Amino acid sequence: MSLKTGPAPVPEVVGRAVAARMVDGVKIFGSGATAVRALDGVSVEFAVGEFCAIMGPSGSGKSTLLHCMAALDPLTSGQVFIEDVDVQSLKDKALTMLRRERIGFVFQAYNLVPTLNARENILLPLTLAGRRPEAAWFESLVDGLGITERLRHRPDELSGGQQQRVAMGRALITKPALVFADEPTGNLDSRSATELLEQMRATVDDMGQTVVMVTHDPRAAGYADRVLFLADGRIVHELRGPTTESVLDTIRYLGD
Amino acid sequence: MWRITLPGLLAHKVRYALTAVAVSLGVAFMAGTLIFTDTIKYTFDGLFNDVYRNTSAVVRGTQPVTPDANFTNQRQLIDARLAETVRGVPGVAQTRLGVDGYAQLVGKDGKAIGNPAAGAPTLGEAWNPAADSMSPYRFLRGGRPPRTSDEVAIDKHSADIGHLAVGDRVTVLTKLSPHDYTVTGIVRWGTADSPLGASITLFELDTAERVLAEPGRVNEIDVAAEDGISQQEIVNRLREAIRDPNVEVVSGAAVIEEAQTGVHRALAFFDTLLLVFAAVALFVGSFLIFNTFSIVVAQRMRELALLRAVGASRGQMMRSVMGESVAIGLVASLVGLGAGVGLAVGLRSLLTAFGFALPSSALLITWRTVVVSMTVGILITLLAALMPAWKAGRVAPVEALRAVVVGEETHRVRRAASGALVLTIGSVLLLVGLFADVSQRINYVGAGAAALFVGVAVLGPIISRPLARAIGAPLRWHGVAGLLARNNAVRNPKRTSAAAAGLMVGVALVSVIAVMASSTKSSIGSVIDSSMRADFVVSGAGQPGGLSGFSPSLRRQVAALPEIASATGVRSGTVRIGSATTVVLAVDPRHVDDLFDVDVRRGSFTTMGDSGVAISQEVADSAHLSVGDPMPVAFATSGSKTYIVRVIYGARALAGDYVLPLAAARQNFSSKLDFQVYAKLAANVSPTVGRAAIERVLIDYPNGNLLDRTQYKHEQEAQIDQLLSLMYGLLGLALVIALIGIANTLALSIHERTREFGLLRAVGMTRSQLRRTVRAEAVIIAMLGTLEGLVVGTLLGWAVVVALKSQGITQLSVPVTQLVVVTVLAALAGVVAATAPGRRAARLDVLAAISHQ
Repeated sequence: MSLKTGPAPVPEVVGRAVAARMVDGVKIFGSGATAVRALDGVSVEFAVGEFCAIMGPSGSGKSTLLHCMAALDPLTSGQVFIEDVDVQSLKDKALTMLRRERIGFVFQAYNLVPTLNARENILLPLTLAGRRPEAAWFESLVDGLGITERLRHRPDELSGGQQQRVAMGRALITKPALVFADEPTGNLDSRSATELLEQMRATVDDMGQTVVMVTHDPRAAGYADRVLFLADGRIVHELRGPTTESVLDTIRYLGD
Repeated sequence: MWRITLPGLLAHKVRYALTAVAVSLGVAFMAGTLIFTDTIKYTFDGLFNDVYRNTSAVVRGTQPVTPDANFTNQRQLIDARLAETVRGVPGVAQTRLGVDGYAQLVGKDGKAIGNPAAGAPTLGEAWNPAADSMSPYRFLRGGRPPRTSDEVAIDKHSADIGHLAVGDRVTVLTKLSPHDYTVTGIVRWGTADSPLGASITLFELDTAERVLAEPGRVNEIDVAAEDGISQQEIVNRLREAIRDPNVEVVSGAAVIEEAQTGVHRALAFFDTLLLVFAAVALFVGSFLIFNTFSIVVAQRMRELALLRAVGASRGQMMRSVMGESVAIGLVASLVGLGAGVGLAVGLRSLLTAFGFALPSSALLITWRTVVVSMTVGILITLLAALMPAWKAGRVAPVEALRAVVVGEETHRVRRAASGALVLTIGSVLLLVGLFADVSQRINYVGAGAAALFVGVAVLGPIISRPLARAIGAPLRWHGVAGLLARNNAVRNPKRTSAAAAGLMVGVALVSVIAVMASSTKSSIGSVIDSSMRADFVVSGAGQPGGLSGFSPSLRRQVAALPEIASATGVRSGTVRIGSATTVVLAVDPRHVDDLFDVDVRRGSFTTMGDSGVAISQEVADSAHLSVGDPMPVAFATSGSKTYIVRVIYGARALAGDYVLPLAAARQNFSSKLDFQVYAKLAANVSPTVGRAAIERVLIDYPNGNLLDRTQYKHEQEAQIDQLLSLMYGLLGLALVIALIGIANTLALSIHERTREFGLLRAVGMTRSQLRRTVRAEAVIIAMLGTLEGLVVGTLLGWAVVVALKSQGITQLSVPVTQLVVVTVLAALAGVVAATAPGRRAARLDVLAAISHQ
């Protein structure tokens, strides 16, 4: 892949509140000769109510960007803010609380605790906090996700798509500032993937939820408001209002 | 296959380390016992060889009846004048008159030295001035032998305990009234401070005959032959010269062998006891090994399937796992052997602390110890790994492509059937051992109990799911940690129940012992309540059948008190009736009814006289004896004599099967001592006044404890409690291994659940919540094992108590408080077992855990 030269564009949000941002994020794995700069000075903002997809080839740093944004992995240098909270300054306990209260996660696989049923899995963050769910919110959430009938089932009794929707429910139950999704459709067949993506789109449109999604799939990226392209730890391109075709075009263009 | 085995071991070394620890502990216990007893035997063999170095032959009374398995040799005394005849035999260089009997020193603090009722004996012996080269005793510098009837020499061990030195006056208790002597010397026995911790008092010869035996009579005459005359030769010449049917002559070598056999026998009991507990530890350990291998095989399913897919055969897979177990068994047994050496040193110090003077010497590690320890350690590991290895061989290559599914129980019916079968076999063996008329009962009981445990373990996965769910129910209040823990424990019932199995065995054994002890205590209590009419008993000087006791002068003095209506001493001796050697009691029949209610069914003690005998209802029934029938009783000292059955009684628990008249004891028992003295207050004398009067007499008899009925009951209970704590101490090792098992299982399943924990941490579980989850799961496992153990153990204890009914344990008592304490302790132990795995789980790096494969 040949790199586009010139300063990396700083994607910014104009006129809207910021849900999370990274300033000059650098992440280096290893040290000395084997050191890898997974993030090489990334600055990025995610607006409230925005559905943002992050794409890039393997090793481009997109997963690292997600992990660092989501307070799962500390930056080597730079800053991460979740709703103006400086994540770098937080200790484990506070980070745990931040993840529990303000961040939702959907992973590619192994999203659910196998010994808990769907309902218990969705309520897990609240249970961990010792809080009771708002009945109305819970019901509208599971209704919206279409899993009302499956609440008493264990994960191994659910299809992959249902599992990911339960995971989505768990991510949304605390009404977090952001939902981070790491290849959420990676293990799904295309119908289930479509359903999940439509539901994610709906949470953004109907509830004003902020979603940041890492994906390989141009079709998945087509559901986003904005797509960031990473290469070698830098943001190399930004695409607003993407479609599957425009994403594909961009990948082709960047790959030249 | 080793090329695959070895990396397999190294890759999972943490998982296997704890397994190895369990094997090592059991092997260490076994090796330690063997090394310890070998060393003691070797040391004493050497000591006896040294002590009897100059003894060519021994002339002594015959033993018309040899009481089997009895360490104390009871023989007739022989006439001291026989020594003249012996000296006249050509080739005799020297003679030594051997006199021994009960003698107990009183220390500077007024306390009797030594506790012959519970430990090493206290003996008096004669010092022969003309034969000091034949004596085992060596005087320390500054001492000299006793020369007058007012002098004694004492052993160094007792001198140290009683703070006694040469020149001190010391009270000595013998079969005569207590008397004061001057200490003229301190002796050692060979190179030891005293023989096996026994307390020794040496008297001048005539005094020894008077206070230990009878004037003019001695126990034996030791003979040293002139140089160049063999032991056999001098024995033959002595036999020729003596020609007395009541006197026998044996060689010095034979006497050494007798003494050595005696020590070996005394140690054999100890040896067996420790080895039983080593076996328990290894048995519990085998559950741990089984569980570890099962989990590791399950976790390596994909890897094993991959190997199968690329062409490894079933046999190779199986051999690979077996190879791992052999390697672990080998290393663990080696480590155990090393630890056993340390344990042997510890055992020696422990016994020294309990008052046994053990000679110090280098530890003796025989090839047998090495071979036995290594073989047992490796075999146990191999056996426990057999089943998991077989499973490893059955992994289908296609599993490599599938996601790992946690083993769901598929053969519930088969499992239930085989579990029930093993349970039945165990129960049958147990019942045969307890109730059928078989020899070696303990082997049946042991095998039966082991089978019961295995049976419960096999059924474990079936019963553990509902049980764990029930146990975990209260944990719902513990928030999400409790919920997750409960679900985890229920998720894989096989693993949960296997983890709990070790604790089940340990707790079951604790419960059996607790039930037995509690039942024995309450039985003794009720016997004392119902049968003892005496107000006071003086006890603490000896045990039935032992060498020690109170001088008859104590009973006379107590009986003479105006505050006392009647007092009687109880004596005991070893006799043979029919084909059985048994310890019997002897009392003055005139006082029996005043002091005891033995539930007389037929006849009366008033008609017993000197020629009657009282027998229990059980003996009367089984031997078809009734009042007026003759019954032969054989004594070690005087042969067979016939007594007439005059009384048949029911209170077997108190009196045993036979009660002889005092006259029979005077004539035929070698001990002339009372082991207990019972007293009844005169009318209108308060217990306080009566007690004070007896206490005044007891000032001269510091070996006696004055107890009323309640205190006597407590004393008896305290003896059982002492035994109980020893048992608990020994079982402690098995419990530790069981806890290691739980910790190991937790560690392994946490490893398996890394991603799950990562997820939980990612969605907001705090470290302490995670720790609490692991802890709650450990508590559920521990409680599961404990409950199973309590049920199995209580049932087992009940069966044993029922079987011992004829032995006088008539009351079944389940010590609820103790069992509750056990349960609470087990829960706490679960918390402890969870500490390390919990900490590891909490330390997991969230990101790494999520991406963990």
